Amino acid sequence: MEGFNYNLIDISYFDLLISLGLIIVAAGLSRFQHMGIERDLFVGAIRTFIQLLAVGYLLKYVFAFDRWYLILLIIFIMIIVASRTVTQRQRKKTKELPYIVGFAMTAGSGITVFVATQILLQIKPWYEPHYLIPLAGMVIGNSMNGSTLAVERIDSEIQSRKLEIEAYLALGATARQAARTCIRSAMRAAMIPTINSMMVVGIVALPGMMTGQILSGTSPLIAVKYQIIIMYMIAFSVAISSFILANLRFNRYFTSDHRLKEEVL
Amino acid sequence: MNKTKIELYNVGKTKNRIKILKDINLRFGSGKIHILIGPSGAGKTTLLRLLNRMDEPSSGKIEYDGKDIKDIPVLELRRRIGMVFQIPVIFDGTVKNNLSVPYSLRTNSNHVNEEDLINALELSGLRNDFLERRASDLSVGEKQRLTVARALMNKPDVLLLDEPTSALDHFTGIKLLESIKKLNEALGLTIIMVTHQLEYARILDGRVINLVNGTIVRVEEVEDSFLDSESI
Ligand SMILES: Nc1ncnc2c1ncn2[C@@H]1O[C@H](COP(=O)(O)OP(=O)(O)OP(=O)(O)O)[C@@H](O)[C@H]1O
Ligand SMILES: [Mg+2]
Repeated sequence: MEGFNYNLIDISYFDLLISLGLIIVAAGLSRFQHMGIERDLFVGAIRTFIQLLAVGYLLKYVFAFDRWYLILLIIFIMIIVASRTVTQRQRKKTKELPYIVGFAMTAGSGITVFVATQILLQIKPWYEPHYLIPLAGMVIGNSMNGSTLAVERIDSEIQSRKLEIEAYLALGATARQAARTCIRSAMRAAMIPTINSMMVVGIVALPGMMTGQILSGTSPLIAVKYQIIIMYMIAFSVAISSFILANLRFNRYFTSDHRLKEEVL
Repeated sequence: MNKTKIELYNVGKTKNRIKILKDINLRFGSGKIHILIGPSGAGKTTLLRLLNRMDEPSSGKIEYDGKDIKDIPVLELRRRIGMVFQIPVIFDGTVKNNLSVPYSLRTNSNHVNEEDLINALELSGLRNDFLERRASDLSVGEKQRLTVARALMNKPDVLLLDEPTSALDHFTGIKLLESIKKLNEALGLTIIMVTHQLEYARILDGRVINLVNGTIVRVEEVEDSFLDSESI
């Protein structure tokens, strides 16, 4: 790998303890200003510490163990946790929601990660965890946010547009035709954060992964190229998963003979 | 030719364990004007929505031209039996866009016959220079006429109207009713209209079906019912 002659500074646990001092100062400020967030601040700091350290050890083990099934299992767990998060964010949790979210995200991130690792980067072996896990994590995380927005938006659109939907149905529209505006609006809502971040990337914010790569000694140009691919991957997978999701979700509000269900009305 | 168009046999509707319609038996003759009248909460809207399958009856059977409406493809049924809602719902774009919707739903194309557009506008009492106007700019009365014109674009046999005048002032309401009466006369369109004002029934000169508490209390020609109400 091309890179700088650059000595990566390891961070000792003592260093981490010192950085905790920053949190203590922030908490002091909260105390002083009666903001009442000291507790949350400490809990957040401790959770950050424990969760990230645990993941660090886990990944270290997984990378060393280097078996394809373990890596796929981890990606599978990521998708489950992400689907649950999307579901829990919704006010209308229905039985089928975790499944359609899981399906939409598996399809969206699956296609994306496959194209990126097998066709673009051609990683060897095909499950090389140093690539597969961070890329999958990145894509799944963004699909999760996109999916949350898509479900939320289609639910609220159908509620608020039910008169319009019924007007369409009464003119002989199918359920899909009647919900078309709602489906579009859900996909747009899911895509907007991704599009925004593509617009300003590098200007307003340096993406976390790129920063990390640069910090750990990768040439900025390589880091940037990776980041470009990642941005495209994210856009693609959010588009695919929100498309699938909106199209599956709207169905719940209609009967097979193109009626809006009574609980909606 | 006195073909019976819509028949209801023992139709009931229960929602949330509340019986809204009880055992309704009715016949809506073709080419006539039928007025569903009754106090608020009587079940008029509920009944109307069963006729084009915006809702399903909980019991009983509805026939259209001798055929169970469940056996007619629902999209086709809704094109035969058009519906105009209480509050006009206007789609984005121009009047022309709105009128093109029924056609584009069927064919995925927007090239509607200009003549059909003008025809629908005139039948519903709108001037034909309205075509390029933005539909959201219309007055409420004009919007309601637009929804009538839009329903006519499917060339229906029956038009269901759920208190189409309720968002309109008295004068505009009566003008709309006159247009509706003309539709019946000019096209032979069967009209089934919900209202709770007996005066509208007289203007339309139709058969009056009186619905109270989910049951039909009487069916009468307009003259009788009008006399009745004056004698009360
Ligand atoms: N989902 C529901 N659950 C329980 N009751 C309902 C439901 N929907 C409607 N109803 C009741 O059914 C009755 C009939 O309603 P409907 O809308 O048909 O009345 P209406 O005759 O059209 O009245 P209005 O003249 O006020 O429009 C009302 O008492 C209404 O409260
Ligand atoms: Mg009503």
